[in-house]
Amino acid sequence: MIQLQLLLAESLRSLRASLSTTFAATMTVLIAMFLLGVSIALGSWVVSWSNNVKKDVQVKVFFCTEHTCEREVTEAQIGGVQRRLESDPRVKEGGVTFVSKEEALEIMRERSPELVKDLTYNPLPHAFEIQPNRAEDVEAIAADLRGRQFAGVEKVDYGRATARRIIRVGQVISIIFFGVVVLLLAASGLLIANTIRLSIYARRREIEVMKLVGASNWFVRGPFMLEGLFTGFAGALLAVILLLLGKEIALPAILGRVDADSDVQALAFAWTALILLGLGLLLGAAGSGLTLRRFLRV
Amino acid sequence: MTEPEITDTAIPPLSEAQENENGRAVPVAGAAVMFDSVTKVYEPGVTALSDVSFVIEKGEFVFVVGASGSGKSTMIRLILKELDPTSGRIIVGGRDLSRLRRGKIPQLRRNVGCVFQDFKLLPNRTAAENVAYALKVQGENQSSIRRKVPEVLSLVGLSHKMNSLPDELSGGEQQRVSIARAFVNHPPLLICDEPTGNLDPDTSVGIMQLLYRINRSGTTILMVTHDREMVDKMRRRVLALSEGKLERDERRGGYVGE
Repeated sequence: MIQLQLLLAESLRSLRASLSTTFAATMTVLIAMFLLGVSIALGSWVVSWSNNVKKDVQVKVFFCTEHTCEREVTEAQIGGVQRRLESDPRVKEGGVTFVSKEEALEIMRERSPELVKDLTYNPLPHAFEIQPNRAEDVEAIAADLRGRQFAGVEKVDYGRATARRIIRVGQVISIIFFGVVVLLLAASGLLIANTIRLSIYARRREIEVMKLVGASNWFVRGPFMLEGLFTGFAGALLAVILLLLGKEIALPAILGRVDADSDVQALAFAWTALILLGLGLLLGAAGSGLTLRRFLRV
Repeated sequence: MTEPEITDTAIPPLSEAQENENGRAVPVAGAAVMFDSVTKVYEPGVTALSDVSFVIEKGEFVFVVGASGSGKSTMIRLILKELDPTSGRIIVGGRDLSRLRRGKIPQLRRNVGCVFQDFKLLPNRTAAENVAYALKVQGENQSSIRRKVPEVLSLVGLSHKMNSLPDELSGGEQQRVSIARAFVNHPPLLICDEPTGNLDPDTSVGIMQLLYRINRSGTTILMVTHDREMVDKMRRRVLALSEGKLERDERRGGYVGE
């Protein structure tokens, strides 16, 4: 008990002695953690969004009607395309859906009734909707179908080329962000290490005396370990507070009301906060541990 | 308070050191300190101690003399296991230091009191706090600290200056505080590295009398010194080191060999 008290008193003494460097280290941790928080939010949002978009990525085959080609497509021609699709390994198992012209009209009627209500006949073609195994394959599947020039096929289409480009840009951004964050984390770990080193230097007399009178290793190291942990934790805590403020105040002001129940969601804030605080502690422990191993051999 | 006079008649009988025919020390289970062919090489070519052997019995008062660089400090650091010998065996208080795990080193140091030329007191703590600090660090409880600190400070004759900061004390008084700190737990061995090196002759005599009294209570004392007069006057065992070698080991030696 008395040792614990002494340990805490020693840590406080040590913190006060090296206030300016502790402050600098805390600020670096703060910046690194803040950016990490932003990139976690952004990164998880991009992943969630791209997953959502990927679901929509599909190839569509439109068949001839009397109006687009000369003749309406035959059942045999449709069957030929279907056989080809079902033997293509890039196409998802059971991912080929036939949408007849009647069904297409029905879907359209639901979506935009006023467009459909004056129609005297059904101008829509039969179609296949094809789900690929991987979103990246749509282009290849479409090219394959076009290359075979099936009779009765009017058009092969695949959607969302721009969407995919956006996904790629998002991925690049999050990789860059991640790199910056790793650098910043390394920098703040080293700064913590340096802070601890300075406070070891400032307290070398105490350390010498402690060793002399037979203080146990953990007792000598404890205050410095605590100091490092405190620095890491304080930085992370401040970053969490800043992120919370940003989320609650800045974000709505910029984006307007954020749609809460959309499918696309960033990682829950509580998780982000936990990750940051845990990482802060880890960083503090790593930073001080590094220095203690090198400069405080008992 | 009257200090005991240091005279020959006051010297307790020396125990029979155990030596074989070559005069070499043989292992003794109850020895306070034993060096067995200890060699310490810092880096190739820099030999601090070479093949040093001796046995110090419990309760002995031993001077270690020698010029600067003769290996005296290395010897102390080896006993405290701040360094490990390159070869040879060291036993302190029955413990073989080569078999002592790192985590047990604090245990060793609690059983070896240390007094240094520069006192090594914490400047921002009073005399009593400096002594208490050692006890706290070792995990003593509050009540035994409250009992032991005044006790040991009165033993070293500083009851009236318990609450003075080191700055407010003379050199001799500071050394008394440092001896109090080293002795507060009554370690069986007290190592003194030139304890009177920074003190004037009169103050030195006071410190020596204090150490002598501590020795008479059964504590083994190993004292490194340059104080020729003191060594010649006290006529105790002398280990003389020269360029890392044990040059002399005399039961009632002087600063220089006859």
